This record gives sequence, structure tokens and C-alpha cells, in this order.
Amino acid sequence: MTQVSLSAQHLVKRYGGVVALADGNLDVHSGEVMTLVGANGSGKSTFSKIVTGVVAPDGGQLLLNEKAMNFSSPLAARVHSIEAVYQELSLIPRMTVAENIWLGHEIGSWNGMVKVRDMREQTNQLLNLFKGVIPDWVTPDTQVTELHPSEKQIVEILKAFSNNPSVLILDEATASLDLRQVNRLFELVTEWKQRGMAITFISHRLDEIYRVADRVTVLRNGRTMASGNIRDISRQELVNLMIEGGVVQRKASTAKFQFGEERVRVEDFSTNILKNITFSVRSGELVGLGGLHGQGQSDLLLALFGSLPYFGKVFISQQEVALTNTKQAIHRDIAYVPGDRNNGGLLFIRSILENLQLPSWLRYGTPIRMGQARRDAHDIARGGLKLIMSGLDAPVSSLSGGNAQKVVIGKWLLRKPKILLLDDPTKGVDVGAKNEFYKLLADLQVEGTAILFYSSDDEELLGLCNRVLVLHDGMITGDLSGDLLNHSELMTASMGGSMEVNQ
Amino acid sequence: MTNNTTPVFLKTLGRQYYLFSLILLVIAVIINANLQKNFFKPVALNGMLITFLPLILLAMGQVIVIIGGGIDLSVASIVTMVSTILVTRMGAEANHQQVCIALAMGLGAGILAGVLNGFCVAFLRFQPLVTTFATTSIFTGIAVYVLPTPGGAVPRFFMEPLRAKPLEIIMPFWVIFLFLLLWLYLRNTKFGRFLYASGGQPVSAYYSAVPVDWIRFTTYVLSGGLAALAGLSQTMNFGNGSPLVSGDLTMNSIVSVVLGGIPLSGGAGGLVGGVIGGFILIMIQNIISFANVPNWWQTLVKGVIVVFALAGPGIIRVSRRK
Repeated sequence: MTQVSLSAQHLVKRYGGVVALADGNLDVHSGEVMTLVGANGSGKSTFSKIVTGVVAPDGGQLLLNEKAMNFSSPLAARVHSIEAVYQELSLIPRMTVAENIWLGHEIGSWNGMVKVRDMREQTNQLLNLFKGVIPDWVTPDTQVTELHPSEKQIVEILKAFSNNPSVLILDEATASLDLRQVNRLFELVTEWKQRGMAITFISHRLDEIYRVADRVTVLRNGRTMASGNIRDISRQELVNLMIEGGVVQRKASTAKFQFGEERVRVEDFSTNILKNITFSVRSGELVGLGGLHGQGQSDLLLALFGSLPYFGKVFISQQEVALTNTKQAIHRDIAYVPGDRNNGGLLFIRSILENLQLPSWLRYGTPIRMGQARRDAHDIARGGLKLIMSGLDAPVSSLSGGNAQKVVIGKWLLRKPKILLLDDPTKGVDVGAKNEFYKLLADLQVEGTAILFYSSDDEELLGLCNRVLVLHDGMITGDLSGDLLNHSELMTASMGGSMEVNQ
Repeated sequence: MTNNTTPVFLKTLGRQYYLFSLILLVIAVIINANLQKNFFKPVALNGMLITFLPLILLAMGQVIVIIGGGIDLSVASIVTMVSTILVTRMGAEANHQQVCIALAMGLGAGILAGVLNGFCVAFLRFQPLVTTFATTSIFTGIAVYVLPTPGGAVPRFFMEPLRAKPLEIIMPFWVIFLFLLLWLYLRNTKFGRFLYASGGQPVSAYYSAVPVDWIRFTTYVLSGGLAALAGLSQTMNFGNGSPLVSGDLTMNSIVSVVLGGIPLSGGAGGLVGGVIGGFILIMIQNIISFANVPNWWQTLVKGVIVVFALAGPGIIRVSRRK
């Protein structure tokens, strides 16, 4: 294998007004494993997408063997032997393992047909790399839909490897693998490294980083903060680099509330992702859900709102309930604010009035008493929400992101929810609107609403919540409150609580 | 391990998406044969194949577009446009050269129509449903401009090949057979793999360096080309042309796809299913016309069958959730 070096310099990428990558720098050379670390939203995935040509950068340059490159599509990057294992898998569910692995670079024959037998044989050889850690019934002809997430992940890795890349990016490739599979992958990574492959390894697990990496690059808020030899950086230093201002004390705590009686209790609660979790929330309490993306936070909220099947027991005000659809949840005075407000929270082109009244129309009789409905909606919009709008009949699409998000909460206010579930509600909301949003939550707390709040923004969790439950791999790895509610505890628990064990 | 002991052929058969459709077809044929005494006589079978070849060809084109994640509502208008071009460029006294020119123009027009559809959908990112509905008006307009009233004629020798019987089997059978063979080939080329990937999970396909836009474009071009062939076979059957679009033809092509067990969401199914679905539809129409019931039953029964075919997966999902 020829020597390669890939160097990214001052990469910039904006999505609309959001800056995903402000100043991304990274070097990786043949025969080494570079690891890229950073907190949620620090730009790691954007980085790998730029390198593989999935998205085009807004600034900066990419050098491959000292030559400037400009990849316009994944095909262009593949021509230069750059391959990535993406965090969100790129497999086609209704195709077989072999078809997926060779998709885009099928072995062709002289007559244009693909060599099914050759590909099956080579797929077998590839699967043999993980022999013993994947079940025997996984063959080249198995449909991808039949596979377990960890096996899909392995197929994804083999797919990238099958093209014989000289630069390989593993973006969270170990997230769904079990211990034996991770060990096997690391053996392979070491082998590939010795054969001259340049590997970039992106992971949230500190243990793995220290096991496999040679060098490390730290991203924070889209900027490269540091780069160096992994042996020279201690775990604590690494965590400090990843979070703003190092390990800081929690911001001045919010006003003390008197918590009331227990509102929700969840026992042995499981879904596809969650594994037997137990916790309770009291009235007037704002409990944050922390941790990395996709560790089960959204699942938990959706299941409590009756829109995902679950196993386990849910008690509302000490009474056991079954939540099998959203209507039951709403009747128990549960309200849910989805993360994707345009699709899940709002009728985007309909009026503010209609959006606010959507869950409450039944109260206004048949035919609907419009006058009353309008007065109530007006009180909410002007009073609690302080909406900046041209009128109740204006469409929601005319509102700014923050105001639109207030409408999503506002539609539940008329029903006086006792339990409020929030799924990363301030994503893409500007700072001013965020503050008003926080005030709204504080008001609800005073009224005795129990709030369960998932946020991908750690600052928000630390500044706002009375208590934070940290989820990792579907389990609660931290229940932080009081003095424990700080950055380093949160980060440690997000990584599966591995730091204390190893120090 | 049950997965290892199950015989390979059973596994393969169980995986065929058109298994259910095939059973349905056999049942339909049995009922049909009981109602229509001469059903298995060559005369009846040949007549049926000649009459319904256009539908089968359209269903094939529709299958390809739908696998690629789109839909083509303009196929019937392409058939009409092509047939008006064919009859006006020929006339009853045309010689071989004129017929060849007319053929080239007709087939070219169909392919160009597909290029227009494909360009709008794949590269301009228009919504397929709306785009092909709109282009329907364009193609119909061209048909009316070319041949304002029904009529026109074609030379006798032009109509012969459709009724020719190489190896004692009627031509439409060979046409369908040929296209199925072509499909078997195509499915095992890169294009085939890319087609399924683009329709099933376009973003993932793009990540895997699949030229998704070009694949989508090609599906509409193929559909346009097959619609042109359908127009050709219709003209060879009737011997004249009409600017009136048989609106049923588009709907029937989609119904054939549904009856063939192919999900409208794309990324699955195959040409065999579309052909089986087309024949099921033909059988149903035959059964109704031989059962001596009022004609409107035909539409009703067709509608009910489609609703059930579409609702099937949804009903299963709902009952599983409970």
C-alpha cells in the first residue's frame, strides 16, 4: 500500500445559520490511528462527511498527499480510496449483505452483469474477519433487515473495508458493538494500520480511544482545540479540552422550589434501546435527561407519551397506568414537545389559533364556540407565551424558530399538563428566545408541573435542571444533583462512567 | 438452526415477493376457464395476448419507475401521442421507408417524453405525481394537434408482425418473454443494483456513491420507451389512431403493479410481479364480462381489489401492535 497523508485545514461548514464546523484541522498519515474527540455537536460527523464528499465545505481546504482536493460527491472521494463508516448507517434494508457490501463498486463482468458468485465468495472472506463474534447464520445472502444492530454495524465496516481504502474513517463505529466485537475490530484496525492504512477513529468512549489511538485531535464547538500524541494527554486533560472553559462549577443555581408529591414513577422500563430503567419525578421538579445522542432519551419520552411500545410499569400519581397510545397519555395530562417541531409539533402552514387549540377543540362543543376558543388562545399567546406575532390568524410558518417552539408548548398549556416531556426543544432556537422559553418552564414548575427535559446542550442541562439523569447505552449511568451536577460528572457519566474506574 | 436446514429452493421461493400474486393468478385462471368454455383454445389466448400487450408493456415501465421510488401517470398519454404520430406519418399506402421513418419518430417521441419526465423529477426535483400528471396534458395536447379526430390508417404489412407466429407461438408472447429475459440481465447489472438502492433508501445510496439522480432519470426514460412500444402495439392491433386518451390505461398499469405484490414505496419487487399483476387484472376483467353482470361491476371489483392489496400490509401492522 502506498503512503498517504490526509490533511484538513481550517474547514468551515454552515447549515443555514448554524455553524457546524468553524475551524476544523486534522492530519492523518499512513500507519497511524488518529482519534477525533469532542462533545455533542462539536462537528465530528460534519468533519467526516466533508472528507468523504457527502457535504461540500464552505471554507478551508483538504490536502491529500499535499495536493488540494475538492470532492463533489462520495464517488469522487472513493476514487481516491477514502472510505467512511457513517454514524447513521448507510445500508439498504431490503438488500442482502453481499449486495450492500458491494453497492457502488460491484465486481463487473465483461457483459455488464455483476459477478454474483465472486462477490459472495469475497463477502464470505470478509465475514470471516469477524468469525466467532457474529452468529453463523449471517451469510452473504442474509437480508439486512434480519440483522441485529451490531451485525449491521459490522456489515457497514466491511462495506467500507471492501473497497480497500487507504484512508478509513470510523465514525462511532463501536457504538452498537459488544465487547468481543470491539476487541476483534481493534485487532483488525491494528493489522490494517500496519499495512499502511490511515485511520481516523471517532468515538465517545475514552477507554477505546486510549486502547487504539496513536494521536488525538480535540474538537470543541466546531474548532480544533488541540492535537497531539495520545500518551501525552491524561484522561482528565482530554475531558477538560472537550468542554468549555475546562471543568467549571455549575452556574448559579436557579431558585429553590418546593417539590410536591411524586408525579411519575417508572419501574423496570424497557424499549428496544432502554434497559430496565427506574426513576421518578416529583411535581414541580425539572429533571434533565443527559448523555450522548441516541442513548434512549427520545425513546423514553416517546414511550411515556404512548407512541412507542414498552415493557415495565409506569405510575402516574401513584396509580399504575398503561400507555398504549397518545390519546391515553393526553388524558393523563401528559404533554409532549417533539424535537422536530416542524414535522411533529406544528401544523406548519395553519394559523397560530388552530395550532394552539389543536389538542383542546373537544372542550368547545359542537359546533365549536369560536369566540371562547379565540379568547382562550389569545390569553395564552399574549399572557404565558408572550408571542411576537401579527395576529392569531397568521400562519405558524410566519413565526421565528423560538416563537414557533413556544406555540408547541402553548398548545398544551390550555390543557394544564401535569407532566411535560420535552425532546431537545431548543435546538436551532436563538439565545433570546431560549431565555423566554426557560422562563416559561420555570412558571410551569411553580404551578407544579413535573418536567422531563432532554437536551443535547450540556450547558442547558446544567443551568436549568434540578436533577439530571444521564443515559448511556439505554441505562442510567448517572443521577446527578446538587454538587455532583457539573460538567465533568456529566461528561464522565455520558461516556459510561468509565473514568473513575480507570484512575 | 432452522436457517441452515431449510432447503435452498424453499428459501428462494419463500422470498419471492410475487408468490401470493401467482396463487391469485392461478385461481383467476381456473375461474375464468370455467366461465369461458374456449379459454384454452389458441384463438382465444392469442386474441387476449394481442389485445392486452399494451397494458403489459405499460405495467413493465411502471414497475421500473416505482422500484426507483417514483410513479409515472403520463404513460397512457404517451401511448396516445405515439399512436397518432404513427398513423399520420404512414397512411394506408406507405412504403417500407416511410414506415421506418414513422417508427423512428414515434418511438423517439416516446423516449423524449420520458426524458422530459425524468429531467423534471430527477434533476429539477419536482414531485413525480404532479410532474407526470402535468406532462400528461402536454402529451395529450400534442396528440390532438397531430390528429384532431380519430382516423388515419396504416399499411397492411405493418400490422402483420403482431400476429406472426414464430415457432407456432404468437408474437406478443415472445415480446413479453424477451423483456423478461432482458430484465433478468438488467437486474444483475450495476444498474439493477443501483435501481433498488435508489428507490429503497436514496440517502444511503448516495452515501454509497450511487448516482441516484441518473438512475431516477433513466427509469422515466425506460418507462417512456416502453409506453412508446405499447403505442406501437396498439396501432398494429387497431390499424388506426385516436387522440382520445384511454385514461384507464394509466390506472390499470398502476393496479397491475399493486396486484403484482410490489410496494408503491419503492426499492422492492420486479418485472415478473408486474406482468403477473397485469394478467390478474386481465383475468378479473374477463371474468366479469363473462359473468353476465352489469359493466360497472368491473370498476367496483377492481377498486375493491386494489384497496385490499394496498391495505394488506397496514392491516397486518395494526393488528400486530394491538
